[in-house]
Amino acid sequence: MNLNSVWYIAKETGRNLVYNIWMTLASVSTVAISMFVLSFFLVLTVNMTHLTTVLQSQVEMRVFINANVPRHSEMTLLKQADQWPGVRKIQFFTKQQAADSLKKEFPDQRDLLTLISKSNPLFDGFNVYTKNPNEIPALAVRFQHEKAVHNVVYEGQVVSRLSRLSVIMKWVGWAVELLLGLATLFIIVNTIRLAVFARRREVAVMKLVGATDWFIRWPFVLEGLVLGIVGAGVADLVVSQGYHWLIMAATGALPFWPMAPYAQVMAKTWDFTLIGGLVVGGVASIVALRRFLKV
Amino acid sequence: MIRLENVSKRYGNGHYGVIDVNLEIHRGEFIFLVGPSGAGKSSLIRMLYREELPTSGEIYLDEFRLSQLRRTQVSRLRRQLGVVFQDVKLLTNRTVFQNVAFAMEVVGAKGHDIQKRVPQVLELVGLARRRNNLPHQLSGGEQQRVGIARALVNNPVYVIADEPTGNLDPETAFDIIKLLNEINRRGATIVMATHAKEIVNQMHKRVVAVENGRVVRDEARGAYGYEP
Ligand SMILES: Nc1ncnc2c1ncn2[C@@H]1O[C@H](COP(=O)(O)OP(=O)(O)O)[C@@H](O)[C@H]1O
Ligand SMILES: [Mg+2]
Repeated sequence: MNLNSVWYIAKETGRNLVYNIWMTLASVSTVAISMFVLSFFLVLTVNMTHLTTVLQSQVEMRVFINANVPRHSEMTLLKQADQWPGVRKIQFFTKQQAADSLKKEFPDQRDLLTLISKSNPLFDGFNVYTKNPNEIPALAVRFQHEKAVHNVVYEGQVVSRLSRLSVIMKWVGWAVELLLGLATLFIIVNTIRLAVFARRREVAVMKLVGATDWFIRWPFVLEGLVLGIVGAGVADLVVSQGYHWLIMAATGALPFWPMAPYAQVMAKTWDFTLIGGLVVGGVASIVALRRFLKV
Repeated sequence: MIRLENVSKRYGNGHYGVIDVNLEIHRGEFIFLVGPSGAGKSSLIRMLYREELPTSGEIYLDEFRLSQLRRTQVSRLRRQLGVVFQDVKLLTNRTVFQNVAFAMEVVGAKGHDIQKRVPQVLELVGLARRRNNLPHQLSGGEQQRVGIARALVNNPVYVIADEPTGNLDPETAFDIIKLLNEINRRGATIVMATHAKEIVNQMHKRVVAVENGRVVRDEARGAYGYEP
């Protein structure tokens, strides 16, 4: 295909888009809405995953040792537990260190802290980090069975619930997206159908003078792709502005809340929406041409 | 050369368009296809440019065997042909020049070839000064000239016309025939279905008469042969 043909096809595509401007706008809007919803779920799941990893990297399980257990027995248990499957990292702390970190975590609870500092009723113990938050309950039981262990405390339930929730969110997201995708497909198919109808005379002449099938089809295929890409682009603009704003708002209002970084989220939403836009536009043009363009 | 061998066309509703037609058309000929309305002229012409296929028999056009063409060959076949209709089928929102250029653009012609060739053809059909007019600004005869220019612009070997003068007054019709004759003189083969008795009788060209789907007469320097 030579440069003239490329230019010609681009021109005709533009003509189609402008000729049916209202359908063009309707298509772009539906693609944009659909891609916006896709981005919404992506932003949500990326953030949940981010939150999960942040929580995971914090202490997951604290094992407290009975007060009468000698230091060398504690060390033996520490070495053994380090080899248990599922344990990623294990750290020993003395009751003094535990009290210090409590003081840091709750600087305002003066009464409690004076009490702790005076009598120091807490225990020595281990901070245990796991490979997978799902393994926490089983590990907790295993520690509990050790005679030296006083009790086990863990926040793993939060983490594993969170990761289960993000799996559910992913599926809900894809289901909603499938429905929206079908609606979007329907609109684009109709837009291209109108373009085919508007150009029926051109198509008839093209066939008559011996234009190839693909020469006739290209402007319509391109039209579908352009609608998909532009719609996705609009959604991406809205989402990137929106997420930027959200991060700003969050640092102001909830400074401890770990938001997924802007660049990471945008990379993901751009990839998905642009590919999504291309796919929906491409599939729509194929469907429309098979049904409405007899070449 | 175009050769029809035992060509029949039966439509879905059971009607026959043409029945068992045998015909040879040589390069450089000018043929009138005559016959009453409903005789099968348009059916025959539609099969020549492979808008339709015969239900039986075979049509050969130079190296093409029409029932065996793959899709890419259909477009190659059509580039050998220039087709002209009674309703000219111009693109109403494009100028004369653009209508003719369109036929070149869509077969991938180069820009400077288009700029060179279109004015030549418009000159030939006598519309050089109307190049920037829209179709509705032209008379019926001028519109048909645009149709002919579009059919000619890719240098077809065969020009196939289905009642190109059907909508025109006798004088204008005669101008169109003179134009087609000139094109024939320059080497193109012309197959033209027509009702125009006066013209056929005056031109002394080959006449193929069709009735009820069958060829009933084929004369080298024939006459229309029907009373209107
Ligand atoms: N598309 C079609 N479907 C069914 N019958 C058709 C069709 N086209 C033509 N015919 C029939 O074929 C016969 C020949 O018609 P046509 O080729 O149009 O004749 P002409 O062009 O000589 O007037 C007529 O009986 C007509 O009714
Ligand atoms: Mg007819």
